[in-house]
Amino acid sequence: MEIIKATGIHKTYNPDKIPVHALRGVDLGIEKGEFTAIVGPSGSGKTTLLNIIGGLDTPDKGSIIINNTDISSFKDNEMINFRRDNIGFVFQAYNLIPVLTAKENVEFVMVLQNRNLKERTERAEELLNAVDLGDKMDKRPSELSGGQQQRVAVARALASNPTFVLADEPTANLDSTTTANLLDMMLELNQKEKMTFVFSTHDQRVIDRARRVITLVDGKIV
Amino acid sequence: MKMILSIAWRNIWRNKTRSWVVIGSILVGIWSILFMLSFSYGLITTYVDNTIRYQSSHIQIHNPDWKEDQEVEFTLENTESVLQYINNQSYQSSATQRTLVNGMVRSSRGARGAMIKGIHSEKEGQVSHIDQKIVEGKYFTENKKNEIIIAQKLAERLKLKIRKKLVLQFQNAQGDIVAGSFRIIGLFSTANTLYDESFVMIKQTDLNRLLVLPNASHEIAVFLDDSKELAQVKSDIQNQFPHLLIEDYKEISPDANLYESQMEVSHRIFITIFMLALIFGIINTMLMAVLERNKELGMLMALGMNKTRVFFMIVFETLMLGIIALPFGLILSWLSITYFGKHGVDLSAFSDGMEQFGMSTLIKSYIPTELYFSLSTATVFTALLASIYPAIKAINLKPIEAMRKI
Repeated sequence: MEIIKATGIHKTYNPDKIPVHALRGVDLGIEKGEFTAIVGPSGSGKTTLLNIIGGLDTPDKGSIIINNTDISSFKDNEMINFRRDNIGFVFQAYNLIPVLTAKENVEFVMVLQNRNLKERTERAEELLNAVDLGDKMDKRPSELSGGQQQRVAVARALASNPTFVLADEPTANLDSTTTANLLDMMLELNQKEKMTFVFSTHDQRVIDRARRVITLVDGKIV
Repeated sequence: MKMILSIAWRNIWRNKTRSWVVIGSILVGIWSILFMLSFSYGLITTYVDNTIRYQSSHIQIHNPDWKEDQEVEFTLENTESVLQYINNQSYQSSATQRTLVNGMVRSSRGARGAMIKGIHSEKEGQVSHIDQKIVEGKYFTENKKNEIIIAQKLAERLKLKIRKKLVLQFQNAQGDIVAGSFRIIGLFSTANTLYDESFVMIKQTDLNRLLVLPNASHEIAVFLDDSKELAQVKSDIQNQFPHLLIEDYKEISPDANLYESQMEVSHRIFITIFMLALIFGIINTMLMAVLERNKELGMLMALGMNKTRVFFMIVFETLMLGIIALPFGLILSWLSITYFGKHGVDLSAFSDGMEQFGMSTLIKSYIPTELYFSLSTATVFTALLASIYPAIKAINLKPIEAMRKI
């Protein structure tokens, strides 16, 4: 069953000045439990596609259906709430909240979901243990290495029990060993929890581990 | 809400220097406005107090015709019954009667016009407290005739000294010009030299004898222990003696009334200026805080933090800065105002100018307690107001634009 269905997605930046056609009619379906990499050269439209799938950007044309819900017409706050409950994000630059500890960062999305303290604490501890950071729960991001921060980011992305996780070049700032460990961990989560992962990446190490690779060139899937 | 408060609190300590600069500027703002207002209050309050204490008293009672034309014949008809009524009331007060006439004060070296006040020496001290302002010689104590007390400044102008004689000349009730020789037994000086020079004091019996108006009085002055009772007392006396002219110090000395009312207006203006300066200072800082955290705010919204929560997070951050500064500012103000309220600031270097306007040269800071509350409310309100623009700026961010990319 497809949990993400993108149909006829077009996106053009600067349409009135110097138009840049980022996406030119992309059709895409992602099924539950996939471990998919979207690859392509710079400027091919990977990040734009990921942004549109994640509800952070809107297509000029086409529709995005997530879990049978068309998100194209959502208003700002509707979209924010939808993202909170359905999509986990892992950013290239980790983007943890610097003033919160690792555990608080993981709890953060659950706080936004108004989940109770006990449930939040248990889930945060379970996830941080799963990403092998059980002993770093009270550390702030500045006290963690890049790899550790990215693992916290993965735990945070999973905390809200999302439908899928979008990861934008998650290994771009990591060394080989850390990348391998992170991918192992995400694959394990993918297999154990049937969590769907969609990456945009240049990284051959990620591409090699992906079960499905979607290649974008000049805004089209090839 | 707890998590938002927690993030807001931690956010303000991310850039400690900047936060302390803002807190410091709010603190200094609170302190400077309260300290400045306390001197303004001190100056005006002292002026009004001096006016009441040494010049006008709280209430003066006259024959209604006296106001129009200060003629000798416009005396009070029932002085004793008025005094008796006032003394029998429950409020704490002192009252005295006076005979008044405009005349000339002559010495061998010069002459000046002045109001000659015939006073009841014992009661006068309780009402005008002039006995406390004798700087040379003494107040009326002995039952001697034709003694006079004049202002030190007037004595200097007329080249007179203690125990010298001067001549008072005026028109009596029959329209005849009469004169009497008086010996100076005391020189007084209040904070208002212009007022001091405008009158001289002799015993009422002496003046009444020269005026050929035995037992006459032109004025009853009432000094209240508690100024708050003024309106009630004035109303009571007016109701009891409707045919008399009853005036309070605001009517007798419009300058005191003007200063009091101007004080309120100018203080409102000062507080408004303070709030405006504070608003722009806080907006500037919070805008910087928002702009440098664009990416992070975008990320928070990407993760699912809705606009209401983002808005309140920025509002809380701003409010916290104000609320941290507030107690420090209030304590510093209270300490300064209390210290200078006790010791005062000596402006005797400017005594000539100040005393010309009836201002005391020792200014003691004073501020009504409610002004601390007013300024606290104003500070919180200002911080709240100042937070709105940065908060709106924050919620108008598009996550994708703020983060550039996910």
